[in-house]
Amino acid sequence: MSTARELRRAFDAGFAAAIGSDEVAREDLLAISVGGHPHAIRLGEITGLVVDRPIVQMPSRIPALLGLASSRGAIVPVFDLAALLGLPRATSPRWIAIAARARVGFAFDAFAGHRRATVADIATSTTGPDESEVLRDGDRQRPIIHLASVIEQIEREAERGER
Amino acid sequence: MARHWTFGQRLGAGFAVTIALAVATGAVAIYALRTVVVSKDRVITVDSPLLTDAERVRTAVEGKGGAVRGFLLTREDRFLDQARAADGELSAALDHMRSTASSDETRRQLETIGRLRTEHQQALDNIVALRRTDATLDNIAKQFDDQVIVKRTQLDTAIGEFTATEARLLDTARTSSSDTASSAMTLVIAIAIGAILLGAVLAFVLARALSRQIGSAVGQVQSSSAELQAAANQQATGAKEQATAMNEISTTITELLATSKQIAESAQRVSQIANQTASSAKTGDITVDKAHDSITGIRKQVDLVVNHMLELGKKSQQIGAVLDIVSELAEQTNILAINATIEAAGAGEAGKRFGVVADEIRKLADRVAGSTKEIRTLIEDVRGAVNTTVMATETGSKSVDTGSKQFGDVATAFKQIASLVTTTTEAAREIELSTKQQSTAVEQVNLAIANVAQATKETEASSSQTLSTASQLAGLSKDLLKLVQPQA
Repeated sequence: MSTARELRRAFDAGFAAAIGSDEVAREDLLAISVGGHPHAIRLGEITGLVVDRPIVQMPSRIPALLGLASSRGAIVPVFDLAALLGLPRATSPRWIAIAARARVGFAFDAFAGHRRATVADIATSTTGPDESEVLRDGDRQRPIIHLASVIEQIEREAERGER
Repeated sequence: MARHWTFGQRLGAGFAVTIALAVATGAVAIYALRTVVVSKDRVITVDSPLLTDAERVRTAVEGKGGAVRGFLLTREDRFLDQARAADGELSAALDHMRSTASSDETRRQLETIGRLRTEHQQALDNIVALRRTDATLDNIAKQFDDQVIVKRTQLDTAIGEFTATEARLLDTARTSSSDTASSAMTLVIAIAIGAILLGAVLAFVLARALSRQIGSAVGQVQSSSAELQAAANQQATGAKEQATAMNEISTTITELLATSKQIAESAQRVSQIANQTASSAKTGDITVDKAHDSITGIRKQVDLVVNHMLELGKKSQQIGAVLDIVSELAEQTNILAINATIEAAGAGEAGKRFGVVADEIRKLADRVAGSTKEIRTLIEDVRGAVNTTVMATETGSKSVDTGSKQFGDVATAFKQIASLVTTTTEAAREIELSTKQQSTAVEQVNLAIANVAQATKETEASSSQTLSTASQLAGLSKDLLKLVQPQA
């Protein structure tokens, strides 16, 4: 447990250092839980994070589509990230990450926190058919979800549905 | 019915029949003897005296004739005296003969003899009178022959006829007596033979029946003797075992007597200890009352503790509610900081400064979230501790209640103990008294057991005597069986 003095010192240090003085390259990630499994998504791939937003259900040929939700005055389709990844679906995922590439929301179970990782914290795994990255979060290994790939997957399914 | 007759009845019946035959034989013999005696008496008292008297009459007639002849020759009176004496004798004989004559014929002959005797006497008197005269001897002789000799001859003839009649009657009586005696003898012999045959048959039947029944009875006596021997053996064995048991009982009772005395002493000590226990129970009763008061105080304090703990639990719940708000605020702050970071990243270089602020806000939100987790954990711990304490204090309260109740029970128990100790004291005294009485009774029982042991020894001796007697009885029954059934 950190004491109040340490908190104060860390808080002051944060404003004392000059901007851009940290030369070490860092990458921001969000630690999340999808289908009961720990995962991570890059902060740069989303434009916003919302919680407990109402989702209006709508019929679709894509099973992973939960419905429509509003974000900053815009209507975005919300997909179940666990269903897209082939994981067990949660009953009612609270959290929605709005993708930056396309105005699409991905719902997941729980938000574990913000992680600022170095290059050394991200490892590349070749155990599967495709290359994947894994974030070392303490004792845990969090597979990093590439939302761009997920969006491409949705687009392919949508095209197959149109044909 | 004869099957059920006793030996005495059978023997009595046999002897009765034999005696009846003997009596019949004796009666017949007596009858025959009496008949013979009567015939003999008749011969002796009637016929023979009559013959004798007839001879006396003949002799008297001869004597009287001789005496008259002597007088006629000598004319001496002494011959006349002899003649009168002879006539007296004749008269006496005739009187006797008349008195004894039993038949009409003899009485008629005696009348004839008497009449002829009178006529003869008359002729003699005439001759004597003639002799006293001066008649000649020739004349006298002639008169004598004419008168006296004729009468004499008639008289002799009558006497001879009488003698012949009496001889005939005597012979007839003798023959009749002999016939009667012979018939009686034949009858007696026949009855005797019948009695002998009947006696033999009765003897055979009785001997057979008695042998069979006595043999059966002797067999039963033998069997009974054997059983009696076995029983006497068992009784002797039992008496020995009983004597041994009596000795053991006597030893045990002696030990029991010693134990009773020890019990009496122990009961006395128990009585003393019970008195001390009663005193201690009273002291303990007071102590229990004080402890009960202390427990009541503890009960009140525990109630206060429970109330405080429940209040603490409520406060913890309120803290939790506030913490939920803080946690929600931290989460929303975190979301805002993350979104601010995203926006700052999209704002280029100008957004970097804002990004630093947003990062710090996010860190603060993270730390607030971490602190709220710690606080929640601590509050949960406090609530758990409060619940545990409440449960423990409630359990303690219940324990105190139980303890209070138990102390009440203990107090009641102490009172009961005091009462029971009093009862125990009385019981111990009664036990002491009863044990002393028991000791006395046990001594009496010991004495009685000694008497029983003595009686058992006597029983053993009696059993031995019974066994000996049974053996003798078995031997006697064998001997008796050999007597009645030699082939046995």
